[in-house]
Amino acid sequence: MGKLSGFFRGMAALMACLLVLSTVGTGVVESYRSALDNVLGTSSYETITDESAARFKKDYATIEDMMAAAKALAIREGEEGTVVMKNDNGVLPLNADKQVVLFGLASYAPYPYTSGDLRAGNADAVDLLQALEDAGMKVNETVKGFYMTGILNKHIEQVPNMWTGELVDTVAYDNIYVAAPGDMTSYQVVEVPPTMFEEKGAPADWKSSIDKENAVAIVTFARGAGEGNTYAPGSATNYAGEATGKDPLALSDDELAVIDVAKETCGQVLVLINSGNNMVLKEIAKGGAHEVDGIAYIGVINDYQPIGIVNVLTGKVNATGALPDTYVADNASIPAVVNFGGDYYADYEIVGTEGTDSRYPGETIANTKASSFGGSSTYNGGHYIVEAEGIYVGYKYFETRYFDSVMNPQFNAASAKGATQGDTWDYNKEVLYSFGHGLSYLEYEQTLKNVQVDLSENGNVTAEIEIRNLSDKDGYFLAQLYVQQPYTEYDRTNLVEKSAVNFLTSGKAQVKAGGTETMKLTVPSKYLASYDYKNAKTWILDEGDYLFTAAPGSHAAANNFLAHLGKTVADGMDTDKTGAVVAWNLAAFDKTTFATANGHEVTNVADDADLNYWTGTNTVTYLSRQDWDATYPIDYSKVAIKLADSPKKDEWIAELRGQTYTIQTNDPANEGTDRGLRFNAASIQDEQLANVNDEYWDNLVSQITIDEAVGAVIHGGSSSDVLTHVDNPKVIQNEGVSGFTAAYNDEKTGKTYRFNVHSQTLIASSFNPDLAYEWGLIEGNSGLWLQRYDLWGTGLTQRRTPYNGRNYEYISEDPMLTNRIAYGILQGCAEKGIMNGPKHMGFNDQEHNRGGVSAYMTEQKFRETDLRGFQGGLSDADGMAVMIAFNRIGATNAAHHVGMLQKILRDEWGYTGLISTDMMNNKYYFNAESMVMAGITQVADFAQNDNHINEGEGGVDKTWAYISVNSVKNDGALVKQARENLKYQLYTFANSAVLNVSTRKVATWYDNAISIIRTVSLILTICCGLAFIATTVLKKKKEA
Amino acid sequence: MLKKMSVGAWIACCAVILMIASLIVYSVNIGSDGYFKGRAVNNLTLWMIVAAVLLAGAVAIKQMNLKGSAATCADLASGLMQIGSPVLVALSLINLIASRVEGLGFIYFSNADVIKEVQTPANMASGTGAIASMVVMGVALVVAIVAAFCGLRKKEAK
Repeated sequence: MGKLSGFFRGMAALMACLLVLSTVGTGVVESYRSALDNVLGTSSYETITDESAARFKKDYATIEDMMAAAKALAIREGEEGTVVMKNDNGVLPLNADKQVVLFGLASYAPYPYTSGDLRAGNADAVDLLQALEDAGMKVNETVKGFYMTGILNKHIEQVPNMWTGELVDTVAYDNIYVAAPGDMTSYQVVEVPPTMFEEKGAPADWKSSIDKENAVAIVTFARGAGEGNTYAPGSATNYAGEATGKDPLALSDDELAVIDVAKETCGQVLVLINSGNNMVLKEIAKGGAHEVDGIAYIGVINDYQPIGIVNVLTGKVNATGALPDTYVADNASIPAVVNFGGDYYADYEIVGTEGTDSRYPGETIANTKASSFGGSSTYNGGHYIVEAEGIYVGYKYFETRYFDSVMNPQFNAASAKGATQGDTWDYNKEVLYSFGHGLSYLEYEQTLKNVQVDLSENGNVTAEIEIRNLSDKDGYFLAQLYVQQPYTEYDRTNLVEKSAVNFLTSGKAQVKAGGTETMKLTVPSKYLASYDYKNAKTWILDEGDYLFTAAPGSHAAANNFLAHLGKTVADGMDTDKTGAVVAWNLAAFDKTTFATANGHEVTNVADDADLNYWTGTNTVTYLSRQDWDATYPIDYSKVAIKLADSPKKDEWIAELRGQTYTIQTNDPANEGTDRGLRFNAASIQDEQLANVNDEYWDNLVSQITIDEAVGAVIHGGSSSDVLTHVDNPKVIQNEGVSGFTAAYNDEKTGKTYRFNVHSQTLIASSFNPDLAYEWGLIEGNSGLWLQRYDLWGTGLTQRRTPYNGRNYEYISEDPMLTNRIAYGILQGCAEKGIMNGPKHMGFNDQEHNRGGVSAYMTEQKFRETDLRGFQGGLSDADGMAVMIAFNRIGATNAAHHVGMLQKILRDEWGYTGLISTDMMNNKYYFNAESMVMAGITQVADFAQNDNHINEGEGGVDKTWAYISVNSVKNDGALVKQARENLKYQLYTFANSAVLNVSTRKVATWYDNAISIIRTVSLILTICCGLAFIATTVLKKKKEA
Repeated sequence: MLKKMSVGAWIACCAVILMIASLIVYSVNIGSDGYFKGRAVNNLTLWMIVAAVLLAGAVAIKQMNLKGSAATCADLASGLMQIGSPVLVALSLINLIASRVEGLGFIYFSNADVIKEVQTPANMASGTGAIASMVVMGVALVVAIVAAFCGLRKKEAK
């Protein structure tokens, strides 16, 4: 009995130990499952390849359904994006009983009139004319006739392709507005004046075809745009080709003559603005010499937006669009325009070299401007602009100055500086239509009822806005949320600038006739903070009242704040109609809450973006609201800036030569070795998808050779190349900002479907982040149908001035509207596994000399303007790609900027996606090693299958001949960073629809073994324990 | 009293010594420079001390001359202590392993790119110390289990 007792005791101990080991061990195994599988050759997951099990699923069963959804979305963009700017004498909605008379070339051929990046070109595309006719409007046939046949005369011409030179059939007209304004050259405003109508085929009595009392004229004016294009102020020529000295964005005399004839022949006149660049409408706005009854903004259309636009014009839906930019009486009143275009440093030539650059021995390299597409041997570091306006872009300038003119007269807001309409500055003379302005057909009120501010990490501002429909019709309404932060003595001392009005977010809601709905809007609280680059050198929140309001535009918000602060019309306010303000108080100055982000300290990373950093003196005075007069920008291109006078001359010149990083020679790199790991669904499981720091990724890229690691980054090409020891799939990059330009050809029906039906301009003026999200889903779905997963599919650069030729690709002058729209688009795409990369992060705010111009600025501007526009999509949402700007930030190529790309984008924002340059057009400007060290994952060029640095003559790199395996193998940090960059790229591919398969967990042999051991040991522990007790008791009884 | 101790009791004493030894190695490891410095495992010291006390207590109880129901209770208590002691060592060991796998992987299997930075003398010594503490603890566990099969007092001649 004694031996039995001992046996059972020992067995109980053994089994209990096994139970503990197997139970706790289960958790350990889960933690290291991937490594265990690698070691044991097992697989814990099986791949499910059928489409129903894909991680990213299409929402539409058929291609017809997909196309219908895209079309419906585009129509909604027209409905929600059309902005009624002026509506007098009941011109809108259009009276169906009246005849519509269409004037202006763009009424019959709205911009853009050719398909491509901006316009899909589907067979069932609808233009304004057709949309009006389809809506039942009676269009004057006489005017239509001579415009279409005599003036426009649509036909096909063969035009060489910009890139390939191949002749392609292109839609052309005898007379049409200039679609591409060129680069800072003269711009011809082509609008056929009425004096030439008869010459162009109009019957002599064409006016008699119009019954004036029962006719409404619709006059549409367009302005072109395009990549590499920049409007030059004062460069306009007229229809006859004569220079007029007028602003090309202002209405020309020919256009005003068309207005006049429209007014002469029709009882009412409505002007449609068909442009992505703000036009100057002073002449036709209220009080103008050619004032019209109505003005509506229709942005840049696409295939189906005209249907939605006409739904607004005819009153089928309520008008809910709002202006994403401020419309002014004279563009010269915009402080950013003072420093636009740029010019040379006084001694820019000293940057050039004649055979002395060790990277390019024997070569003469100039420092002159290059074209947008490169082509000459130049560092292109001679040109600069100073963005001296700071954060005061768009309404933030105009509304803050207005606010100070009432609230803080000691700030000299009434100064003549910046005034274009009189001797003193007057908001109501300078501004025609404010940011956020848009008239609703149905009367309604938006009232802020409650605001909660959560300052915890990832906390939000949550606002409840009550919308009261005061009309007798059900309707759809827009609400906008604004904030004003305290502007304190601390701010004035440390030059922390504060806009008096800040847009935060917006939303729309359906409300029954006479009814009320409460809308809840949220936006991250971090956007309440301001960047203090001088003292705290991080984000700060001033103590005091933060004022929130819901308002139909930035100016209404400014007035709400003034009224809340006790001001009235007697003090200089321009209205006594104001809305509710809710104050949230912060008791003490806070420089810690947002001083860390994503676990990283937030501090200055762009001190050298300030021109004063280089000159060592206060060369630049940045605009500060504490003295509008003394700090109003001057044109710094007229100030002689001499590089040679800088105390940091050598450093400055090196940066302008692109030598942000120099290849090291004393740090041997490790050659990649094949560990047998591959990029495939079996290896990439949930743990790897969730964590870019999972050891799998480091191990995977450690296999890449030095040649391929550096080569794959600096020759990223237009598609990712297959890496030798990785076997990653090839991922093709796609354009464009209106959606995938690639078409879907249905083999069954022979039909072609194009999904790039979106309009950036109209999604912007929709002010509806939810609509942007819906577009993101559509864009994502279309990628799944097209089996294309990588897209440069939106533009987010800040519209700093109206003159940028690519404003039509961007969203707004306001970073937060851009931020919220981008959040929607990129999140929608991410949920479908599509890598939608916005263009062009880092102040690509003018196309003129984009491939080299230095943009100088303060770090507050750096962080609070252009970058903030990208933050919503890349940090708050799950954006997976981004394209970096062409230009320099300070003297540093944006694609070399470690502060922007590594410190802010990767560290502070926690962004794990791919980072691409714009097209690498100049090897002297784009420096390979500097791009690698900045974190670029792919340098864009046209080449494919060239991910090596040994393809040039003599085994050196074919572009940067000083780079070879031999030259980089002794720079371990460079090679390590190249592999790190590829790690992010491969990680992003894995998280996208590129790897669109599901996996299912299966029990491995070791799972089964542990499970059996746990169960058996549990049973035996109990049995042996009981047996031990029983045998011990029996033994004692027997002994007794 | 020593004369009454069986082979099993001596094995148990060895287990107790090994437990204490493993605890010392572990303590030195987390107190020395290197990767594992300061990286204590929750409750491990407590569990190991309790395990050693239980086993030592079991040996002590069995050496007492008890009769009747007291002897029965003592036998049961001693036996349960012999069972509980290795269970606590097993719990300590598996938690120690779980907490050290990642660090050991970092020290011994990092990418070639960083291995020079990682394999400093201090980190290597720390890794060796961690392995040593696990080995000694593992041996203590085996010996404690063996001891559980053994009686702790010699049978008295009848």
